[in-house]
This record gives sequence, C-alpha cells and structure tokens, in this order.
Amino acid sequence: MTQPRMLHISERWFRLLQRLYPPDFRDEMGNAVVEAYMDRAHHSLQNGGNIHLVALWFRALVDSVRNGAGERVRPAVSWRRSGNWGRDAGLATRRLLRAPALVLAVVGTLGVGLGLFGVVYAVVHKVLVERLPYKDPGDLYFVWRDYRDLRRGWLAGTDVAELQKAGGAIEDATGLQRQLRTFATRDGDDATEISVMVTSPNLFQLLGIQPALGRGFAKDEVGPKRPAVIVLTHELWNRIGGDPAILGRPVRLNGEPYTVIGIQPPKFGFVLNAGIGPPQRADAYITFGINLAETNPDRASFAGLIRARRGTSPQVVAAAVDAVGRLVDARDWQNKGLKLYPVGLKPDLVAAVRPALVVLGFAGVLLVLVLMVNLASVLVARASQREHEFAVSRALGANGGAVVRATLFEGGLLGLGGGAVAALAAFWGTRTLVALAPLDLPRREAIAVDWQIAAGVIGLGALLGVLAAVAPATWAARASLSLLLANSAVRGGGGRGRLRRALVVAQVTLSLVLLSTGALVVRSFDRLLRADPGFTPEGLLTLRVPMPPQFLPKAEQSIALQDRVEYALRTISGVTGVSAASTLPLTASAGQMTIRIPGAPGNTGDADRDARLVDYLGARAGYIEAMGMRLVEGRAFDRVRREGVREAVIDRNLARQFFPAASALGAKIPWLDNQFLTVVGVVDQARLYDVHQDGRPQIYLRAEDFGYRTLSFVVRTRRDPLSLVPDLRRAIRQLDPRLALADVRTMDDVVGDALRRQRISAVLISAFALGALLLAAMGLFGIVAGSVTRRRHELALRLAVGADHGRLVRLVLGEGAALVMIGVAIGAPGIYIAGRLLRGVLVGISPLDPPTLGAVALSLGLVTLAACYVPARRVLRIDPAQSLRQE
Amino acid sequence: MDRDRGIDKRLPLRGVEFHILLSLAAGERHGYGIIQDIEGRGEPSVPDVGTMYRALARMVEAGLIEAAARRPVPDTGDERRNYYRITSIGLRVARAEARRLEALTNAARVGGLLPKEVK
Repeated sequence: MTQPRMLHISERWFRLLQRLYPPDFRDEMGNAVVEAYMDRAHHSLQNGGNIHLVALWFRALVDSVRNGAGERVRPAVSWRRSGNWGRDAGLATRRLLRAPALVLAVVGTLGVGLGLFGVVYAVVHKVLVERLPYKDPGDLYFVWRDYRDLRRGWLAGTDVAELQKAGGAIEDATGLQRQLRTFATRDGDDATEISVMVTSPNLFQLLGIQPALGRGFAKDEVGPKRPAVIVLTHELWNRIGGDPAILGRPVRLNGEPYTVIGIQPPKFGFVLNAGIGPPQRADAYITFGINLAETNPDRASFAGLIRARRGTSPQVVAAAVDAVGRLVDARDWQNKGLKLYPVGLKPDLVAAVRPALVVLGFAGVLLVLVLMVNLASVLVARASQREHEFAVSRALGANGGAVVRATLFEGGLLGLGGGAVAALAAFWGTRTLVALAPLDLPRREAIAVDWQIAAGVIGLGALLGVLAAVAPATWAARASLSLLLANSAVRGGGGRGRLRRALVVAQVTLSLVLLSTGALVVRSFDRLLRADPGFTPEGLLTLRVPMPPQFLPKAEQSIALQDRVEYALRTISGVTGVSAASTLPLTASAGQMTIRIPGAPGNTGDADRDARLVDYLGARAGYIEAMGMRLVEGRAFDRVRREGVREAVIDRNLARQFFPAASALGAKIPWLDNQFLTVVGVVDQARLYDVHQDGRPQIYLRAEDFGYRTLSFVVRTRRDPLSLVPDLRRAIRQLDPRLALADVRTMDDVVGDALRRQRISAVLISAFALGALLLAAMGLFGIVAGSVTRRRHELALRLAVGADHGRLVRLVLGEGAALVMIGVAIGAPGIYIAGRLLRGVLVGISPLDPPTLGAVALSLGLVTLAACYVPARRVLRIDPAQSLRQE
Repeated sequence: MDRDRGIDKRLPLRGVEFHILLSLAAGERHGYGIIQDIEGRGEPSVPDVGTMYRALARMVEAGLIEAAARRPVPDTGDERRNYYRITSIGLRVARAEARRLEALTNAARVGGLLPKEVK
C-alpha cells in the first residue's frame, strides 16, 4: 500500500478511536490528539515502515481504551466531572444574576410561603409524627375507665394496684396523680404554687428516663412510712438557682420538708394526660404516701400508665387490661359494667389536636402546590421572553437538552434559594408560634425547626423548583422557528399560551379550595368568639390562693382566712365585686359525682337513666353575681348561711332533666353520706370545658359547707383588671406572708387561652388562603396583560373596523373570566374533599355552609376579575392608527 | 492566604506533569512536541498521546498551564494543534517540584543509593 493511503487509513482509525473518549474531551482535544498521532504515524513510517505503523495503531488502541475510560470516570476538567449540568448551572446562575428583581420576588414568595409551610411541617412532625422521648414509647399506654355515662375517667387506686399485679402482657404499671402544692426552699419564704406529680416509685424506670443529677425513687420509697423525697424537674431546679448542692437538702411542700434526691434531665417533658382538658405537666415528683391497694375503690382520682411487654400487639394489651377491668368490675362494682381500656400514650396525647393539625397540614400542602404552580408560571413567562432565542438556537442546531437543562436549573436554583430563606423563616416562625401556642398543645416544648426539618424545607424548595420548571422546560425544548412564526402570525397563544392558561386555572382551583377552607375556619372561629360562655369575662381578674391544710389545720380557719381575703380585695379601689370558687370556668377541673333525685318528676323509673354524672364545684356567696352568670330561677347564695341547710344552685340542664315541667327550687338531692343538698337556684351554665357548648350538668355547692380550702378568687372591677395586681399582692401578703398567689389572670385571658388553638389555626390558614389568592390574582394579571400586548395588532384592527373600546375590554376580560370559571368548576369537588377533613374542626358551621362558600366564590371572582380588569384597560390606550403603522 | 502552602499542596507532581512543565518552561509547545522532548530526555516510559492530552487538560484546569494562541506550524501549515504555555503558578510549582526532587536525590546520595559528589 502507498504511504498516503496508509496515512489516510491511520487518520480514520485515530478518529474512530476518539469515540472512546467522552464527547466533551473529544470536542476540545480530539483534533490535537489525532494530529499528534499523525505526527507519530509519519515518524513510524519513516523509521520502520508499515510494521511500525500497525504497531502504532495497536498502541493507539490501548492508549485510547485506557484513557478514554479514565476520562469518562475521572474527567480532567471540573465542569465535565458533573457533565454538562455543571456548565448549565453556571449559565443559569449568570442569567438569574442578571434579573435580580425576579430572583428577589421569587425567592421572597417562596421564602414566605415555604417558611409558613415549614412552621406547619415542624408542628405536625413534632406533635403527630415524632416518637415521644421515652424508651420504646410504643409500648406505653394510659389506662382509662368507662362506667355508665362516665367516659375516660380516672382509675381508683385499687385499679392501679390490680394493673401492677397483673403481669403477662402488662410489664409494669404506675399510678399518677397531680396535685398543686405550695413550694418553698426555706420555711415561709418565697412561697410559690407548683404542680407536683405524685406517683408510684417506678415511674422513671417505666418511662426509661435517668435523672440528670442524683437518683430516682427506690422501689420501697412509697406508702405511709416512706421517706419524704422529691425529684425536681430541671426547670424548677433552675428557677430556684440551679445549685447541684441542693441534692440531699430539704425543700418544703405545703410546709412539710422533702429531701431532694434527683434532678430530671432538661428536656424531660412528661405530661399527665387528663381525662378531660389539657395534659398536665409537673414541676416536681414525689411518691404516694398511701398504699394504692388500700384506697377506696369508689374514689377514682388516679391516672394509670402501663408499659406493655416489648413487642406486644395493642390487641393483646387491650385484652390484658380488659381482663383486669372485669376483675375490678366483679370485685368492686357487682358486675355493673365498669370497663378499663388502654390508649397508646401518643394517640392519647395528640387526640385532641390531631384534626386541627391534619387540616393545617392539608392547607400547608395546598400552599406548596400553589407556590409550585406560581413558580411554574413565572418560569414559563420567563421562557416565553426567550422564545425567539430558543427557536433561533434550535434552528441553528442547538441541542434541545441544553435548553431543558438550563430551565430545570433555573427552577432548581430559585427553589433552592427560596428553600434556604424559608428554612430561616420557618426557624423564627416556629419560635414565634411556640411562644403563642396554646399551653395545652402537646409536645409544645419539643416543637422547633431542627436541622432535619430545615434540610427538608430546603430540599422541598429545590424539588419544587425543578418540578415547576418541568413544564416550561419541555415546552422550551420544543420551541421551533416554524411554530414561533405560525404563532405570532395569528392571534398569539399556541403552546405557551395554553400552558400558562392551564397554570392560572390550577392556581384559581387551589386558591378556591384554600380560601374556602380558610373562610370556614375563620367563620367557625368567629362563632367561637361570639359564643356566650355563660358568664361575663370582661373586667374580671382571677387568682388562686392556695391554703394548704398544713398552714391552717382546721377548715374553719381557712374559711375565716377566705373571708378576710375577700374583704381585703373588696376594699381595693375600683373593685365592684369579689367572690371565689373551687374551679373557674373553662379550666375543666371540676369534681364529678353521680347523683339521683328520688321522687323528682323527671325520673323514668329506669335506675340507670335516672342517675346522672354531674360536675360539681364549690362557690362562695356572690360568685354567681360577680361572674355575671345568668340566674334562671330562684336565688344565688346569700351572704348569710342558714343553719343545717346545704344550699345548692343547679344548672338549667339538670333542672330540665329532673324537673321538666315543674320548678326545681326546694328539691333535695342526696349528697355523700346521709346529706342533702337543697336547690335554691337555677342558672345557665358557666361553661367548664368548651366556650361554645354546655358540658355535663353542674351543681354549685356552697364552698363553706364543704370546707374547700384553696379557692380561685374572682375580682370584678371598673379598672383595667391587670392594674389591680400590685394592690392585690400587697393586700394578701399583709394577711399572711405564707400565702402564694397562683394563676393571676384576667378572665379574658382564660377565655383567650381556651380559644388559642383555634385562633392560631384561623390565622395560619387564612394567611395561606390570602397568599394563594394573591398569587392567583398576580397570575391572572400576567396572563391578561400578556394577552393584550400580544393581541395589540388584532385589537387595533378591530378598533379600526369599528369596534368600540368597551367591547374590546369585555373581550379581553372574558378571556380571564373564562379561566376563573374553569378554575372554580374544577375546584368545587376539592371543596367537598376539604370539607370532609374539616368536619372535626369546625364549630357551629357545616363544612359545606352555602353562605360561606358563596361568599368565597364571589370574592374570588371579584378579586380575580379586578386582576384582569386592570391590564384589560390597557386596551383603551390602543390607538389603531399608530398601532397598525408600527406593524 | 499562604500561597506557598497552595504550591506545596500540589506536590508531588505526576511524572508526565513534571515533564510537561519542564518542556513548557523552555517555551510554548504542542502535545507532540512535548512527547518528543520527553523522548529526548531519555525517559524509559514515554507517555502516550491520550495520557499526554488528558494531563494537559487537567493542568489547564488546575491553572498550571494555559492554551497559547494557535499559530501555523511552519513545516505542516496546520492550525489544528493546541499550543500551551506555562503560567507563573505552573513555573513555581515546577521549581518546587524540582527542589523536592533535588532534596530526594541528595537524600539518596546520603543513603548510598547514588555515588557521592558527582558533579
């Protein structure tokens, strides 16, 4: 073969070998490499002829296989290391930097929106999803008791003792009782009221918690002869100075010395789930000074907490607890149907807040969708500005993939930025929320944005950005010159127009669902605000004055002190009424008792139906007047007590059951052992549980008759209630310096606290909804404005041939209105689905309340039409002569 | 920033990289020219063309060398070759590497691996 021929074959071979290298390397170095080999080839031919040349071919093959593979695995240049993505990312970044306003707007919107979502996510995750911080928390159960119309009642001490003996699936059981006690580090000094958890000594082992300092309770530290030992929470320990030397020293509970043996770790937030009302936290732990097995089976005042044997299924646990229940029923209740049943610690804790959180989570997800659609339409709008660029570069042979990558990167980058801002926003937002959150929100202390949640929010932002970019990216990849020309020739639109319209419809749909959810929640909250709780909260200050028996051994002494406190408060200027009761409204802490009224006309003869579980509380004279409760019949308590008569005031519901047609006044209600209550008055309920609905029937006892020691005083005043506080403290300190003041709050605050959860839900969801509406309106604005610009020529033509401006405005407006209508039509089933979720959350309003939904649709329509109308008015500025000349 | 530490971090260089810097220190070259230089130094294992160009790409990325303006080569009139020149960082890295090798050689001498005092 001739030398030129051999060289030609060589060159083709070397070029072929270049295929082994990645394309980027080939583009950059290919020619030079082939050239270098050709130099070698010349050399080989000259020095050794064809044999050497063929040897070179082989050598080149080995070289290319080795380095081609090497280059693919470990590219020499960094951007190649991440493929073309790296280069595209660089491009996308530079392009975004040239549009700071857009970046700011998008990142800001995403930051706020995703930030809100992050807050909701943090709350939902921490409250509903995350495990409780105990050992094997899935094996922990609270045990409740149902008996007749008592649901979720406390256990008797004997029930707990029975659970402890049960064995089998029940590995361990502990009794719990929360008490309020006056706490002091030294006698008579710095007295405060704290909440003390009285438990069996095994509580900490059962939870799997080690004290941070000192020790927990020993097995035998329980019962009448137990040493008085106390374990403090970290929080209380900090409050009294945080000195480790306190271990082994005494503190005083109600004046009695207790030796501090341990300090709980800082995050130990055990709460006692109550039968009704909020979970109860404790500041310190002591053990029972009684033997649970020897308590009165009738006095149910203990919570039961059990640990199931590891891995036992809930059904088996339920069966084991049920067996104990049957045993108790047979022994103590003559088989009347007492039932014990377990509820998992976590479900039990979050049961009350779950529906509201599920709705919040749902609204959060909708918000994220809205954000995504919004981002998508922003990216589409951006891509459409570059339509020409895309089409021309495609026509010149640019790779469609590059355009797709660039758009995806732009979306991802924007999303990432938004996510980062959102993580910060969520961090602060969650702090604010926790500060405002209802005190009874379970796991409140654990709610914070940790790095996992922050990473989740940032990741979600990036994902959202990329997903949002998918639509514009695929569209941009298809952009072609011919399509472009075709589109701009006729009345604008084409693929991009359809896509943008579809996005706006999606926005309208999502906003409709969010708005209706928001409106329903707000209306429901409004109902709650307007609800009449049965008393007048304005101008009332409340405070509790603990009077432990250790300070005042005889009941008469505490009654005398109560008289003096009441008198002292009454003399403060601006005070118009003072009284006291054992339990304040909306605090869910009354006593419960089953009563019968023999001979009452309402009795049916069926013994079960004629017994009624009631809430009872003690009140002093003047309470009903000071609270502004409504007396329906009879009178309230007189200041003067009548000898030998135990007066009672009952609520309208109880009166209606037992005295449907007659007056309840003068009726005798058997009470405790051989006592009778004489009904002197009937009132409307001052609600104990919910603002908006009556609870159990109520009986108000005269506090003095039953020796209530610790009472909550209510002070009605013409002044700002809180301005009374210093006077009040001084007055009570003067009476007895050992007295602590607890829970000094205005009644408005008490009501506000009861509504706080609903308030936060309402605020968050309406914020979501308004945000969504705003974004939808902006989307529509963009569509209509774009449409007017694109159709300028056509509109000018129409004007020129005689159409008037008004007609054209309506034409353009109609385009936007059609989108809104479609969105509303699609959104309607969404409202229905949302309604099903909302059912458990709404108060006094149906999830499909026609006026509310109508108002939502109407306002959505108005806002969106306004968003269309503003840009549509640009039609009026079209001057046909000028416009047509421009074309 | 401590620039010398930046330099030290790049050491030791691969054999092919030092050869490239050595050649370019003398002036601009293209890939094959460098290979010829290496052959001229009597190196037993001369790098292949692919290895050479990958190293060039890597060193451009690392800032040790840069592409020079392309110019016709007198003998072929061909403009497709890539010419390279050394950057100031590359020069400093090459010197540092040379010093390192010198120290190593001295150590070998002290250790008796090489005859002493051969000038």
